[in-house]
Amino acid sequence: MDRLLNIDRRYIFIAVFVGVVLPLLIGFDLPIKPTKNVRAMYDTIEGLNPDDGDTVFISFDFGPSTITEMEPMARALLRHCFRRGIRVIGVTLIAEGVGIAQNLLDDTAAEFGSQYGRDYVFLGFKAGNEVLILNMGQDLPGTFPTDIKGNALESLAVTRDIKSLRDMDYVIDIASGYPGVDEWIQFGQERYRFPFAAGCTAVMAPDFFPFLQAEQMNGLMAGLGGGAEYETLIGRPDKAVAGMRPQSVGHLVIIMFILFGNVAYFAGKKNRS
Amino acid sequence: MPFLQRTLPLIIAFVAGALGIITFYVPDMEAFETESATWYRVIFAFSMVLGIHSLLNMHWARIRRQEAGWGFSAVTWIGFGLMLLFALYNNGSGPFAPLDLKRGGMVWMYDHIQVPAGSTMFSLLAFFIASAAYRTFRARTVEAAILLVAAVIVMLGRVPIGAFISEALPTMSQWLMTTPNMAARRGILIGVSLGAVATALRIIFGIERSYLGEESD
Repeated sequence: MDRLLNIDRRYIFIAVFVGVVLPLLIGFDLPIKPTKNVRAMYDTIEGLNPDDGDTVFISFDFGPSTITEMEPMARALLRHCFRRGIRVIGVTLIAEGVGIAQNLLDDTAAEFGSQYGRDYVFLGFKAGNEVLILNMGQDLPGTFPTDIKGNALESLAVTRDIKSLRDMDYVIDIASGYPGVDEWIQFGQERYRFPFAAGCTAVMAPDFFPFLQAEQMNGLMAGLGGGAEYETLIGRPDKAVAGMRPQSVGHLVIIMFILFGNVAYFAGKKNRS
Repeated sequence: MPFLQRTLPLIIAFVAGALGIITFYVPDMEAFETESATWYRVIFAFSMVLGIHSLLNMHWARIRRQEAGWGFSAVTWIGFGLMLLFALYNNGSGPFAPLDLKRGGMVWMYDHIQVPAGSTMFSLLAFFIASAAYRTFRARTVEAAILLVAAVIVMLGRVPIGAFISEALPTMSQWLMTTPNMAARRGILIGVSLGAVATALRIIFGIERSYLGEESD
């Protein structure tokens, strides 16, 4: 039993690798049921009125290290907004997020024929972390006089009448660390009282349940699973839904190892005693 | 000199801290708050320059002394230099035009080096978590057994295969997240916040002076 407990970790790595790769090669369907927190975000965007010029403000606060987990949920959200004709304003609080956000916005807008300036605007990145949120809440055109392309905000249809974050119909932060959801609640939602929701990595999600209960945020998408739920809700399965197969089997493999390790541990203990 | 080294920083810390609190609670001071937030962002931008200087300086010292792993430091320098050059070149538009985020060397390096390297580093976690869980996650005590059962339920309940095994798993997982997890997290949040308030007050009133390189009272 001791030999089993001290198994070469490379065998564990191989098992995890096989557990992740096989489901990518073999197609099978798993039931994806949207949770209450993801459905709340979907319903909020469904409730917005494109004819009134309702605007969603999305902060893309994630970098390359978490792109696999975060990008599908951001893409699903953007698809929902552009499909409904809801205006989108994008920003990022981290320097590495600029390229990701720009590509996401442009690619998704192109799918629906949405035009830059008329249907969406990307403000880009500025240093300041949580203080940038504070500034945008006080005076958005003062904080970002121009968008990332150098256009004055008053010259663009989406941002012409926007004075601050208070004018947003829904603010969504898609974040994988600092600055992220905590900062958006402390310095944004709590100060300026806009409707707020978030997308985050799966490991971060447990931290945000107090904010959900306090209604400081009305929805939460957690990890690739959250993205898969949103893709299911908009009826457009993509990378997140496909990623649920390897993730599910990966979880199963890890659970098997945990259970096997415990069985081996207690069996060995019994033998020794 | 003691005035510049000790008294003046204490006065600045007191004034900045006190104003920060006052502007948060007094609505008429919003203009001042906007201005001070802008100042903060300017200082923050300078701190990024300082950070880059510090990073490059440290790696340059490693390269110069040819310390173990100095090749990685050289990669840092080369990566930084190339990114900077491509950003300044800006796909032929120059440094003063809006950044071209569609084409060019900077975009290529970002898409083909930074993104895959970052994702690879993060995905390696799965292998190490599996190995660490196998070796250390033991139900040695009642508390550890509860933690283990909760972990298994949450791990299964958060992926579709959980619902495939049993409809109850996602419900149980959600309950664990919204009840015991939330209560614990709220307790931690309150504790951390009270600690932060106490530390902030100690700094404002000059009791905590470790940022000056001194012992606290």
